Amino acid sequence: MATLWSETNPYLGAPKGDTDFARITDNVARVAEAAKPPMGWYIAFAIALTMLTGFGASLAWVSWTGIGAWGNMHPVAWGFPIVNFVFWVGIGHAGTLISAILFLLRQTWRTAINRFAEAMTIFAVSCAGVFPGVHIGRPWMPYYMFPIPNQMNMWPQFRSPLEWDIFAVGTYFTISLLFWFMGMIPDFATLRDRATTTPRRLIYGIVAMGWRGSSRQWHRYERAYLLLAALATPLVLSVHSVVSFDFATSQAPGWHTTIFPPYFVAGAIFGGFAMVVTLAVPARQFFGLKRLIEIRHLELMNKVILATGMMVGYAYGMEFFIAWYSGNPYEVFVFVNRAFGPYAWAYWTMIACNVLIPQLHWFQKVRTNVWCTLAIGVVINVGMWFERFVIICTSMSRDFMPANWGYFVPSTIDYLTLGGSFGLFFTLFLLFCRFLPMVAIAEVKGAHRDAHANHGGHGGHDHSHAPETA
Amino acid sequence: MPTMAGTAGMITLTRPRQLEEPQMSEMHHKKPESQEDAPLFGLLAEYNTPSELILASQKVRDAGFTRWDTFTPFPVHGIDRAMGIKMTRLPWLVLGAALAGLSLAIWLQWWTNAVDYPWIISGKPFWSLPANVPIMFELTVLFAGITAMVGMLVMNGLPEPAHPLDLKRRFARATDDKFFLLVETRDPRFDEVLTRSLLEKSHPAALEDVPEDRTTSAQIPTGLIYGLIVLTAIAVVPFALFAKARTTKSRNTRIHAIADMDSQPKFKTQRENLIFADGRSMRDPVAGTVAQGQLRDDDALYLGKVNGAWARTFPSQVTPTAELMDRGEQRFGIYCAPCHGQSGEGDGMVHLRASKLGQGWVQPSNIHQQYIREQPVGQLFNTITHGIRSMPAYGPQISAEDRWAIVLYLRALEKSRAANLGELTAEQRQNLK
Amino acid sequence: MADSNSRDKKSKSQHPAKGSGHGTSSWGDVIRNSSDTHRLFVFAGGIGGVALLLSVALGMGDFKRFQYSYLVAFMWTLSISLGGLWWVTLQHLVNAKWSIVVRRVGELIAANIGLMAILSLPIVVPALLGNSDLYVWVDSHRMQENHVLHQKSAYLNVPFFAIRVVVYFGFWFLLSQHLLKSSLKQDSEKADTQTVRLRRLAGPAMMGVALTLTFAAIDFLMSLNPMWFSTIFGVYYLAGCVLAIHASLALTLLWLQKRGVLVKTVSQEHFHDIGKMMFAFTIFWAYIAFSQFMLIWYANIPEETHWYLLRAENGWLKVTWFQLIGHFILPFAFLLSRHMKRSRTALALGALWVLFVHYVDMYWLVMPTTFVEGPEVHILDLTCWVGLTGVFVAAVAYRARGLNLVAVGDPRLETSLAFENV
Repeated sequence: MATLWSETNPYLGAPKGDTDFARITDNVARVAEAAKPPMGWYIAFAIALTMLTGFGASLAWVSWTGIGAWGNMHPVAWGFPIVNFVFWVGIGHAGTLISAILFLLRQTWRTAINRFAEAMTIFAVSCAGVFPGVHIGRPWMPYYMFPIPNQMNMWPQFRSPLEWDIFAVGTYFTISLLFWFMGMIPDFATLRDRATTTPRRLIYGIVAMGWRGSSRQWHRYERAYLLLAALATPLVLSVHSVVSFDFATSQAPGWHTTIFPPYFVAGAIFGGFAMVVTLAVPARQFFGLKRLIEIRHLELMNKVILATGMMVGYAYGMEFFIAWYSGNPYEVFVFVNRAFGPYAWAYWTMIACNVLIPQLHWFQKVRTNVWCTLAIGVVINVGMWFERFVIICTSMSRDFMPANWGYFVPSTIDYLTLGGSFGLFFTLFLLFCRFLPMVAIAEVKGAHRDAHANHGGHGGHDHSHAPETA
Repeated sequence: MPTMAGTAGMITLTRPRQLEEPQMSEMHHKKPESQEDAPLFGLLAEYNTPSELILASQKVRDAGFTRWDTFTPFPVHGIDRAMGIKMTRLPWLVLGAALAGLSLAIWLQWWTNAVDYPWIISGKPFWSLPANVPIMFELTVLFAGITAMVGMLVMNGLPEPAHPLDLKRRFARATDDKFFLLVETRDPRFDEVLTRSLLEKSHPAALEDVPEDRTTSAQIPTGLIYGLIVLTAIAVVPFALFAKARTTKSRNTRIHAIADMDSQPKFKTQRENLIFADGRSMRDPVAGTVAQGQLRDDDALYLGKVNGAWARTFPSQVTPTAELMDRGEQRFGIYCAPCHGQSGEGDGMVHLRASKLGQGWVQPSNIHQQYIREQPVGQLFNTITHGIRSMPAYGPQISAEDRWAIVLYLRALEKSRAANLGELTAEQRQNLK
Repeated sequence: MADSNSRDKKSKSQHPAKGSGHGTSSWGDVIRNSSDTHRLFVFAGGIGGVALLLSVALGMGDFKRFQYSYLVAFMWTLSISLGGLWWVTLQHLVNAKWSIVVRRVGELIAANIGLMAILSLPIVVPALLGNSDLYVWVDSHRMQENHVLHQKSAYLNVPFFAIRVVVYFGFWFLLSQHLLKSSLKQDSEKADTQTVRLRRLAGPAMMGVALTLTFAAIDFLMSLNPMWFSTIFGVYYLAGCVLAIHASLALTLLWLQKRGVLVKTVSQEHFHDIGKMMFAFTIFWAYIAFSQFMLIWYANIPEETHWYLLRAENGWLKVTWFQLIGHFILPFAFLLSRHMKRSRTALALGALWVLFVHYVDMYWLVMPTTFVEGPEVHILDLTCWVGLTGVFVAAVAYRARGLNLVAVGDPRLETSLAFENV
């Protein structure tokens, strides 16, 4: 362990530069420029690659032998695959919220973490997208999902929420990718201008597209950024709402309830932020980014976690109350079954992880402690996975006809697929950390106090003289 | 690194910056029409803080320059106003794209699900606006977002592989921590002396001449062109193959990449089976054998024949009772009424529909006709069993006992139209009144 | 420009602490106004009072109609107060800086809750006295009609309802008064103790607001059709409250600025932000309304669809279409452009429209319960609305007299004054 933190770690030590701006540049750029990352990166990458291989192997096995390799059975025909899908899509939401919504709300603290979080979104949505692709049983026929003219004269069923999912997740992935890439253009330019080897110069140069920081270009860039942020905000709300429609449009008790859209969105942000902090704590430590990703950023994220956790708790409460209020015995049964039926262990895990443990964040000492932040982040991710498990598997295992009731048991391939998806995520993430600018260099500089020109009594945040009339 | 100078344009954008020597010695390695005699492109002023840049920009703006720009590592707040940059038209472009996406989504879902291939699903209307809203929203955002990004790049003139500023070593810090201002000679108000002094008044950290770029070729490298041609050619091949496959015939079987369970190793009815001499999959029963329950040696019951002639009475196994009559009525309703009608007149639903279609349909017989009424029960039984003219055989579908029940019911139906008053009992005659 | 200069001179000559009725801030703006607010109090109070009396008189003849019209107007005015309460709590919770100059007005609007408690009596008292014109569940015999209602009667019964009403208004009253009083105390303290305290309080307070608002909406609005239910209903009402408060803030501030108050304090930037919130929550309302509708439409379960069927048939279909066009499409298109949000006139028109369509929304929620054929507009609708709005405005004006209309003691005031939009 000591070697991971030794002087040979190119990410540690004071960043070079005679101005704050230069130091910010160096702090972030040197991570991407290091010729060889420390051993720790290789170890983590090896583990991630192994998990990714497991993922590939389990998916190949399922494609070869069929869906029977999973634990899906009657009546729980939707098992792990959709739980994993909703889980990963949810995690992606934090990135867009940090990028887009916090941008619209002028929260400059987001600049330290937004690049990181956006990358997480892309990778999480990639993981998510795998599951609908393979769970259809004949993954070589995905073209059915898209409105492509074909010899059968068939079109997709646009009245189905599963079809809406294709468009929602597809749009989300595309827009997130564009947003992420656009944000990186100025930083690619920075890396290009600092590059010492030809391959790096060429590659960063091509993706930077010749960006030179012209203010006229910045003007349009800023406008496009604002437009993308304004578009991404309702988009991120719509994506998880559409995912919730997968369940809420049905007639199944426990699924068909009007609060699902905002509840799922709040839950997604909740889980997503938990993943962001889970990754931010080790990343800032290991990559020497503690000066940029400060405790106050972690604290603010923990506050968002607490707030969205309360929203999720509110939704749990409303579901419960209205189930009773509706007088529908099947609806009541669903909730009684969740808490006291055969899956009670999953339900109470969910409650403990999502409702009880996050309450610790009311205390500032907990919010500002990195280990607590990390631990609670992991706990919440577990809890959010279980929430989807409870909603899907518990409800389906006790459906309308008692003769149909059954207990779903995941198969080995199920576990391998779930674990392996983390492999895909971490592989991509580690590659991102290694080669791409992990922090939005230009944005952090823009939020820095030196960035604001003090001219003629206008603008700036720390003045104490009278402003002009607007 | 000197070998890279002066060849392809793309490489210039990646010109190394950390040279320990100034550029002059490097330029001596170049070919003629060199950088040495390059005319002035513009004047570049460098500043250490955003405020200085803002002040300088205001001066340049107020002096009426138009061909000038500033370069900063991050967007400087207030620089737009200081430079007099007008609001971009990009939002309008994005709005247009959003509306295009919205229209496409509405049209797509309407045309595919309500016009081209309408089909009922869960009782929803063919064109279900509430169900179409999510995709309407997504396509609006997709089109708008792509346009915002691509529009921004295009309007910014990106990618911009080469620019004279790339030759200035100090300019590399424009993406790091320094702020630059460039006034181009192309500007009508440009005057080398006056403009220089104007810039000097803003106290820049450095003020440099920017020569035009004579080292970068304006042409795309030949390697790249050839590469693109080759790639395009390769990319066309699959489509050419598809086109050929769609328009020609072949004696070969189709390439069946994913077998699924499409070709199963089993013997279907008309398939070849080489185990047998005659090569047929369907086999006759062994000669001289009868399957169990298939003996049917009672002609009266199974064929309606007695001593070779049509039976005139019901076979001994079938007793005409009220229950048999009810059974016959029920079976008639199932098997016979669709064509012959409930009353037996030949006006069943199938006849009504088929005669409307007018495709050469002959009306089913009216069983009340004289010649049918005169037929012996055995003959009726035979007609049901083996069919007649266009009527198919119902023997395979209906058991012998049930067929006799139907015959019983037929006789009752016929009687209903052809009864004499004399055949009624006194009580029945009373009811008629 | 000339206008504000002349007012500057006026305020300078009437230097504060002379009981002039106009107070000046350290940055030279008028931040107190007693004469105009007093006049507003008298005017609004007068008209409101007369209209209320007229409503009561008319109500004697047709009590049921009175109750329905009153409920619509009551839930509309309540939504403004509750929206204010939610909004002020939120500003404290997220440590918002832009809104500090605007917050006092929000606090004053929220502090109206005490009056709303009294104004709720024409709805609550008849229920207590057993009148089931409005709420079927008041009649315990009707609740035995079927098994479902019978089960619900554990919640939908008069005593429990009365307790809940006391809890709602009690909580809202205490919280709103506390927020206002703390803010006023800070005016003289000029320290950040109140800010820190209120920020800590805001978390639990927000939870309380969310729950009480949800159950108030359920009790007053959703229970009109006791057989119907929707888990998102509380959020739906909240969306309306948020729209109502932003529109009200915009109109109040614009009115004040026309009277020469807060001219230098509240800038185009602040109005832009209010406009942005109105725009955002128009979309949010549409999202919630659509979610509720589409899910019920899609599953097509009669237990749930009957509520929407009432609003899709006969005369109500037009109003439902109006909700889509007037409550979403028009305000969306209107407030989309940056220019509209930065124009005072446009914002005022937008705010008026939003308040109008919000009223139609309340009408659409309440009236189809009993007027199945279609909207039957009645003079009582107008008199109740005028009455309640007049009294509401009068109460806010009354509370505002002599008070600073800006939270001068807030430590982040400077940031808010200097705030500029992207």
